[in-house]
Amino acid sequence: MTPPRRGKTNLTPYFLLLPSTLFLILFFAWPMFQTMVLAFRGEGVILNLREAPENGAAVTGQIRQSAQVILLGNRGIPVAAPAAVSGEEEAPSETGEEAASAAEPWYLIRGLDMANQAFEGWVPASYIREDEPETEGGPFTSGSVRRRDRDVRSEPGPISPVVAQVAQDTAVEIAGQRTVEIWYEVQGQTDSGETVTGWAPSRYLEVLSTGGEQVTGFVNRGDSGEWTLRYIERMFADREFIPALITTLLLIVLILPIQFLLAFIMALLLQSRLRGNTLFLYVFSIPLATSDLAVGIIWFSVFTQSGFLNSLLQGLGLITSPIVYLSVESKHFMILAVVLAEVWRATSIVMVIIVSGLQAVPESYLEAAELFGASLWQRVRYVILPLLKPSLQVALILRTILAFQVFGVVLAIAGRGMTVLANEAYRWYVEFRNPNMAAAYSGFILLLSMITAIFYLRSIRTQEEARE
Amino acid sequence: MTTQATLPPLSEEMARLQRRAIRRRRTNRALTYALAFLLVAWILVPLLLIASMAFSTVDAVRAYPKSLLPNPVSFETMTFFLNSQGVVDSTVRSIVVALLTVVFSTLVATPAGYAISRYLFRGRDLFKLSILAVRAFPIVVLAVPLAVMFIQFRMRDQLYSLALVHTALTLPTTILVMSSVFASVPRELEEAAHVFGSSPVRAFLQVVLPLAAPGIAASAIFTFVTSWNEVFAAVILTIRSRTLPAQVLTVLGTSPLEYKFAGAFFMLIPSLIFIFFIRKYLFNMWGQITK
Amino acid sequence: MAEIRIENVFKYFGKVTAVNNVSLTVHDQEFVVLLGPSGCGKTTLLRAVAGLGLPDSGRISIGNREVTYLPPRERSISMVFQNYAIFPHMTVYDNVAFGLKMRKADKAEIDRNVRRAAEMLHIEEMLERFPSQMSGGQRQRVAVARAIAIKTDVLLMDEPLSNLDALLRLEMRAELKRLLADLHTTTIYVTHDQIEALSMGDRIAVMRNGEILQCDAPTTVYDQPANKFIGGFIGNPPMNFLLGQVQRHNGSLHVQVGDYALKPAPIYDSELKRYDGQQVVVGIRAENMEAMSQPAEDALQVRVMVVEPLGSQTLLTIKIHEDIIKLATHPDFPAVPDQDIWVRFPAEKIRLMDPQSGKTLLSS
Repeated sequence: MTPPRRGKTNLTPYFLLLPSTLFLILFFAWPMFQTMVLAFRGEGVILNLREAPENGAAVTGQIRQSAQVILLGNRGIPVAAPAAVSGEEEAPSETGEEAASAAEPWYLIRGLDMANQAFEGWVPASYIREDEPETEGGPFTSGSVRRRDRDVRSEPGPISPVVAQVAQDTAVEIAGQRTVEIWYEVQGQTDSGETVTGWAPSRYLEVLSTGGEQVTGFVNRGDSGEWTLRYIERMFADREFIPALITTLLLIVLILPIQFLLAFIMALLLQSRLRGNTLFLYVFSIPLATSDLAVGIIWFSVFTQSGFLNSLLQGLGLITSPIVYLSVESKHFMILAVVLAEVWRATSIVMVIIVSGLQAVPESYLEAAELFGASLWQRVRYVILPLLKPSLQVALILRTILAFQVFGVVLAIAGRGMTVLANEAYRWYVEFRNPNMAAAYSGFILLLSMITAIFYLRSIRTQEEARE
Repeated sequence: MTTQATLPPLSEEMARLQRRAIRRRRTNRALTYALAFLLVAWILVPLLLIASMAFSTVDAVRAYPKSLLPNPVSFETMTFFLNSQGVVDSTVRSIVVALLTVVFSTLVATPAGYAISRYLFRGRDLFKLSILAVRAFPIVVLAVPLAVMFIQFRMRDQLYSLALVHTALTLPTTILVMSSVFASVPRELEEAAHVFGSSPVRAFLQVVLPLAAPGIAASAIFTFVTSWNEVFAAVILTIRSRTLPAQVLTVLGTSPLEYKFAGAFFMLIPSLIFIFFIRKYLFNMWGQITK
Repeated sequence: MAEIRIENVFKYFGKVTAVNNVSLTVHDQEFVVLLGPSGCGKTTLLRAVAGLGLPDSGRISIGNREVTYLPPRERSISMVFQNYAIFPHMTVYDNVAFGLKMRKADKAEIDRNVRRAAEMLHIEEMLERFPSQMSGGQRQRVAVARAIAIKTDVLLMDEPLSNLDALLRLEMRAELKRLLADLHTTTIYVTHDQIEALSMGDRIAVMRNGEILQCDAPTTVYDQPANKFIGGFIGNPPMNFLLGQVQRHNGSLHVQVGDYALKPAPIYDSELKRYDGQQVVVGIRAENMEAMSQPAEDALQVRVMVVEPLGSQTLLTIKIHEDIIKLATHPDFPAVPDQDIWVRFPAEKIRLMDPQSGKTLLSS
């Protein structure tokens, strides 16, 4: 490598690194952070009650999702009509959008009620079948009631006092229109059992009964989140968690030693300058670029009931009828198949790392060791292995971390019969549509990966320190 | 001095030692080759098995006991797979995603690789270290939050969003390979171009890039294959526009054997071809990691 | 009591003959330098002695024991490697102790020998360091200390100084020579540096194309090279070669170079008769010619082309007939380019060689 340029602070390299740095932040740092957020944060579980029916008002108390509440009153807060909102150029903010969709138009109507008394009051616009306006595009001025026994209220709002009831098809005059978002005045209990009162938008609440003195309801969902351990607790309590963890760890314990031994042998073979070395290198590195799903299917084809293994055994006359390997009843065979597939697939990368480590060990070190009397085993033990330590360390970290993510192979071989941590993340996201639980699983994988890396790095460092 | 002096015959002990040395060398050689071929078989036999399945008749695929070689050779299984619903479409999508990934990662990694190989600057080691750190980062951890983010930004189920994730996956490797590729282009050549009056950009485009082209191509191939193979992010981030591995994975539980086997072989094809072209750069790609 | 006897050793690498029928005896406690250009087979030969690469045929004995096919550890040899090959993951102490540990020496003995070797090479203060914390010269000392920490009959050195810078090499050369003289070990020392060879060896074996061309004391090799190659390889500047023709003049034989008649020493007379009327190569070293600014008897008038003052001497490039040669003069000698000077060739310093084989007439 040519020595890099030295000299005064030059901004060019920073400029050149900018795109990749941004990319790495956006696609590594940020998702990592988001995983934590998803795993530890329950969104919409807390409803803030406010002093006044507006978003900026001071919070008087917080009620948990699903809590029973008493609705003391309501108020229609005028908002811009949805049509006007959608016509705006810039995308509405999330809350604005929600508020707009929660807003509904109300009409102030006049007419005669069921008791033939004149009334004036508010009904939702959906109650009224409007007549054609006199001038095209002009405001509606009259209409008729769509259904029977409609409550006409003193103010816009579903629990405002009823001033009259109108019969179906009653002709009414539309005296005014207002688009409002309904806010309820809510009385409920906080986590600590304290009774609090305050305002909250109707879209967070479900009204249960309007009859009687008291209007009751419950909190449908909250408007803010909280940090919570419930996804983590749920993950630990999950029926599949322990099996997934055990299988994952078992696979690592079984795969890694075989893999490293095999990779070491391959690397030594490649270093011993055989004829056709490049061909061996090519063949040994083929699995490096293979799809884990495809490799899983290959080994499925070996172990499936009508597969190659049974065919071979039957051909040799060792069995008379095919054995079922890949079923929940024969977990050890499933593990064996996955181990073989993973060893087949991922040994190459260990081999490549070891070979490049070996290439950095000058032959003269081995010759010197031989000359000073070291046997083959002593050369491996005292010279090769210590010098390969950085490579082995990297390979170990990489392989262990990748082994925590084993996915396609397991799914292809064992299907539902066996599960690993990554499978659970996939299942929770894709099948149960629960990103929080999926994030809890992937966060757990991340944690294991970090512990692994730190463990390997630490164990090496302490050895070095001990030596100095 | 060149005349062949007549030597007394070797002592008995030496003759024995000589024979033993020669014999040992031969046995070692033979054992080494035997071991090498055994390992070659370990790698190749499974590939041959799946290839033989992919080129058998559907009946032969379902038959038991199976024969190791296709008899007769038939494209029936392959044809069945390729005609299955969604296979051609998802293959096209896989290729598009892989190509986009190649473009993205080459564009982003080239300047970074160049900067690392050519400049000594504060934070260089930190940058290299963080690249190594993210290289071992679990894709599983990335996929879920990114899926949630893509939903928010209305980027879900888009091929380019998947390509962005795959770019993130391959970027660390690509940057390291690029830096070693650029480091192998002597800086004197570039400086000569500067001395003879070309601008830095021109010198890069006309001198460095052509010399680095094979290495860049190798890393592009590696990127392509990585994206082509990737299944976890693909299956989480796509709904209707499945890539090939995601498509195969989704129907895995319900698909017949011939679909699985032909699909597996089909997915393996690019890796078999491409690893051949990039074998020279394997150690650049993974060897770098320890330095 | 360890004499190294190499007899008719051949070593092939594919179709290349790396060592071609080499026989060489290194006497007990002798220091023999294998000298030659790279690829001449000197390292291959050394490795055959070390047991790191077995010869294809021939015999090697150390002391009275044949070792041709013995593994290195059974040969009682020790070696200093070209790039030192000291283990980067071990401390200096562990490096120096390596050979002793492999021999399963007990702790006290190891410690005694390590400290003795370290003391001899003045690295006793660095025993706890790692090689990465040391300079090239210090690593070199570690490599030598490791080699002498075990007591062996033979010490092999493969270009031990080639990785040092010029000044350090000069220093180490003398120190190493002193050290080896004290050790009384039979030593084979491989180098491509003729100064090292001349300054250190009891004898120099010059190799080319897998063969030993000459094996003699340094002064002999320098003054009486066995052939044109050795004359050209050893010495700085190398020996000058002039093509001349043997002619009879007034009853005695001369070598005619252009217009000038050279008279070699009388001992060549009998040989020259065989070359009467034929061509020979005249070899003469730059410092053996006598330059004069005035015409003199037997002196040739030549034109100076280039003047290179080197401090201790001044090197003149002159043209004689067809040949361009180098001539070393005292730094005070007045010379400028394009000036004529007069050169005398002392008869006893002239060497004559066969133009075809390059072999020195009269040699052996």
